[in-house]
Amino acid sequence: MDELEIRGLRPGEEAEMDALLAREGLRRDPWLDYAAGIFDGGTLVAAGGCAGSTLRCLAVDRSRRGEGLLSSLVRHLIEVQCRRGNFHLFLYTKGSAAPQFRDLGFHEIARDGQRAVFLENRRQGFSDYLRTLQTETPPDPAAPVGAVVMNANPFTLGHQYLVEQASAACGTLHLFVVSEDLSVFPAEDRLALVKAGTAHLPNVVCHQTGSYLISRATFPSYFLADDDAAALAQARLDGAVFARIAQALGVTVRFLGTEPTSRVTALYNQALEEVLPPAGVACRILPRRELEGTPISASSVRQALKDGDWALAERLVPPSTAAYLHSEKGQLVAARLRTAGQVIHH
Amino acid sequence: MEIKHGAMAGTLESSDIMVTILPNPDGIQIDLTSSVEQYYGDSIRATMHRTLEALGVSSARIEAVDHGALDCTIQARLTTAVRRASREEVAK
Repeated sequence: MDELEIRGLRPGEEAEMDALLAREGLRRDPWLDYAAGIFDGGTLVAAGGCAGSTLRCLAVDRSRRGEGLLSSLVRHLIEVQCRRGNFHLFLYTKGSAAPQFRDLGFHEIARDGQRAVFLENRRQGFSDYLRTLQTETPPDPAAPVGAVVMNANPFTLGHQYLVEQASAACGTLHLFVVSEDLSVFPAEDRLALVKAGTAHLPNVVCHQTGSYLISRATFPSYFLADDDAAALAQARLDGAVFARIAQALGVTVRFLGTEPTSRVTALYNQALEEVLPPAGVACRILPRRELEGTPISASSVRQALKDGDWALAERLVPPSTAAYLHSEKGQLVAARLRTAGQVIHH
Repeated sequence: MEIKHGAMAGTLESSDIMVTILPNPDGIQIDLTSSVEQYYGDSIRATMHRTLEALGVSSARIEAVDHGALDCTIQARLTTAVRRASREEVAK
């Protein structure tokens, strides 16, 4: 038997990986932070990579199926992830490939038909998360039960208005704050500001999205620019995950905010309007609150801070967020924004 | 032995078992995925509980992916994972 070598790709070998992926109808994600291949002699016969806590872009040459190459590759990538301290791993794949990954210890979280399946390597991972959400919810929530998901980077008067409108229309409102720490305002602070800015609404229950909604695993193009088709596919899958959460919490309506300057938010809303109603969750798009004819968004707050326009920033946020912006932590974020490039959500 | 951080051992090949072990606040939790679950699931879990007891591990979360490993393989892989997970420094 020929000696097979599994190793990280070397500079210049990406083109070979691209060719292998293209033959399988896949493309290399632009944000892989590690890529590996199995080489037979000098030929690449299987390839895949990592991005954050996900495994991505896995492909085995058509003529080399059934030799267990996928399991060797996945084992190698899991080992790389463990060395980085990532034990809870995610991947998504085509519906037709899901059973193979099930054999490798990846369990289904949600699917968008046969198009895409989202998997994790923890058997109880998602069910544990659903249980946590239920534990955080007071018993006998009043109907109708609604939900809002926000990154709140940072929490503005626009977010507050959206939550107030949604809260008034619901018996109970679940408010999910994105946990992924890829935004300029730290996740912990974003959550604290959401809680402070919604404390006057007794029917609002705050949750963290964990790795399951708008995370780097489900929806990387929310954080990193990518083409529309990729963003839409990921948004549909994110919607499928949300549908399962909605089912567990009895949510029947999801409120969405418009984000006129963000293309990816528009795609996201479009995908949710397709995916959620068939799953029994109505979508309600609420218009943005405006300040002097301009919609209030977190992007505009970040731009104001970048420009050093504190007066404008303060008019766009509730007092709790304003106090934070003036705190030591807030000043640090403002300093980072001043040196940042693009601060408007793509 | 105390599980100080996550660790893994084993492969996804046939006749092997891949074991991932993580700290757990309270007690032993074993989540097993096995190609022979129907016939040997309980026996695999019993072997793992016995091995952990022998190693003096009272709290751990274990995720195991089995492809028909023999008892001795299960013990060896789990023992290796426990030793790696109880070392002082995390191997980076």
